[in-house]
Amino acid sequence: MPDNRKTSRGPTQKAAGSANRTNVSPKKQTGGNRRQQEREERRHQAALEARRARNRRWGLASIGLVVVLVVVLVVVKVAGSGGGNSAADQVSPPAGSPIPAATLSKLASVPMSTLAAAPSGGLINQIQSTTGANAVTSNGKPELLFIGAEFCPHCAAERWALYVALSKFGTFSPNPGRIHSATQDGNVPTLTFYGTTYTSPYFVFTPVEVYTNKPTANGYTALQTPTKEQYNIWQSVGGGSFPFLDFAGKADMVGAQYSYVPMQNLAFSDVAAQVGNNSTQLGANIDAGAYQLVRTICSSLSSSKPASVCSAGA
Amino acid sequence: MTSPVTERPDVAEGSVPRWPGPVGTLVCILGLGVAGYLTFEHYTSSTSLACSDNGVVNCLKVTTSSYSAVAGVPVAVLGLVFFVIMLVLQLPPMWRRPERWLRVARVAWSVVGLGTVLYLLSAELFVIDAICLWCTAVHVLTLVVFATTVYATVSYPRPE
Repeated sequence: MPDNRKTSRGPTQKAAGSANRTNVSPKKQTGGNRRQQEREERRHQAALEARRARNRRWGLASIGLVVVLVVVLVVVKVAGSGGGNSAADQVSPPAGSPIPAATLSKLASVPMSTLAAAPSGGLINQIQSTTGANAVTSNGKPELLFIGAEFCPHCAAERWALYVALSKFGTFSPNPGRIHSATQDGNVPTLTFYGTTYTSPYFVFTPVEVYTNKPTANGYTALQTPTKEQYNIWQSVGGGSFPFLDFAGKADMVGAQYSYVPMQNLAFSDVAAQVGNNSTQLGANIDAGAYQLVRTICSSLSSSKPASVCSAGA
Repeated sequence: MTSPVTERPDVAEGSVPRWPGPVGTLVCILGLGVAGYLTFEHYTSSTSLACSDNGVVNCLKVTTSSYSAVAGVPVAVLGLVFFVIMLVLQLPPMWRRPERWLRVARVAWSVVGLGTVLYLLSAELFVIDAICLWCTAVHVLTLVVFATTVYATVSYPRPE
């Protein structure tokens, strides 16, 4: 190749070449320079093209790797080796397992003073007041609507505070059962209101659990279907998110008041032991959340309300 | 009188392909549309999200999962931010600029998008156990913009 020959030329040859160049006419010298420049240019272009080809191969390899990775993810999923939700014992009965009476009693009897004193720093979601233009009632009483899903970890977290708060105004029969959110969705221990009836002289509590925590091939097993009115409120105000609370059309909350993360994979008894204990973050979150729910319920009740509850900590 | 070297097409201009700018811009505009739609749906609580909620494709399940937000910021908003920034980086005039930092930023940002897509795809497949079609559209567009960015960048090195 011309370029290689040129670079292998020794000092003597270079000197001779240089001497020759001094003897040629300026026109020939210009032509020689041009040819040399053209050779250098071709060499530069060849090197550039080689570099481009090498980089192109690397680029295509990177893109191919990404495509392969995505395909592998899908194949692994389809092959069923990555689901982790096939164990039948990872689901709860829809109405849950029985909760010891002593545990429920403890949850229901947290003093209002304890709830009021709970630090609220862990609350990450606020209950929003609404205009109250569409007051929701049931059988002549204000209605507290809860829409959740048993697989949902946020719902699992919120039910603790909700049970504590509701216990200040009425009773359940039968008692709520013990469940957990889906194992692949936090595995958060909680209670379920499915299958229970809540009785209160002040308001009606309507829980709707849309899904169980039992996985299917395509999602979760459906459990309860909201009425058209409930569905419309849930969609228009709550955007169809879980959990959703509507306080007689006067206040709403979308999502949980506090994070479910600290509850993940805990035993039911571990969480229950912290309710009423403001010295732990988890206990303080539940207590503070319950207090906010109590205050909202009280403010949503127009006239008849329990003074011992609604005047506490106000 | 100019030399033959300076008369030939400028190396910088010759190294810049024409297709990445328009292609990247188009993909980003599409991505902006889908991400914007998801963001709109998120904040307006609209019920018009055209997506099945009973099957493998289950937007409700995905959008109500714990993976629908990162540090309190909805993933839909993050997607919108991603495509806004990427759109700027993909504009044809930006592809014609020779600055090294710009090329690095474009590739780095596309890698960020790719990483997020792989994370969310894994979550959908293995944790949430459902697929959101609109999210998948955003994922595909992100993968396309990653592929075109990487290919165009490494195939046409910055002139020295």
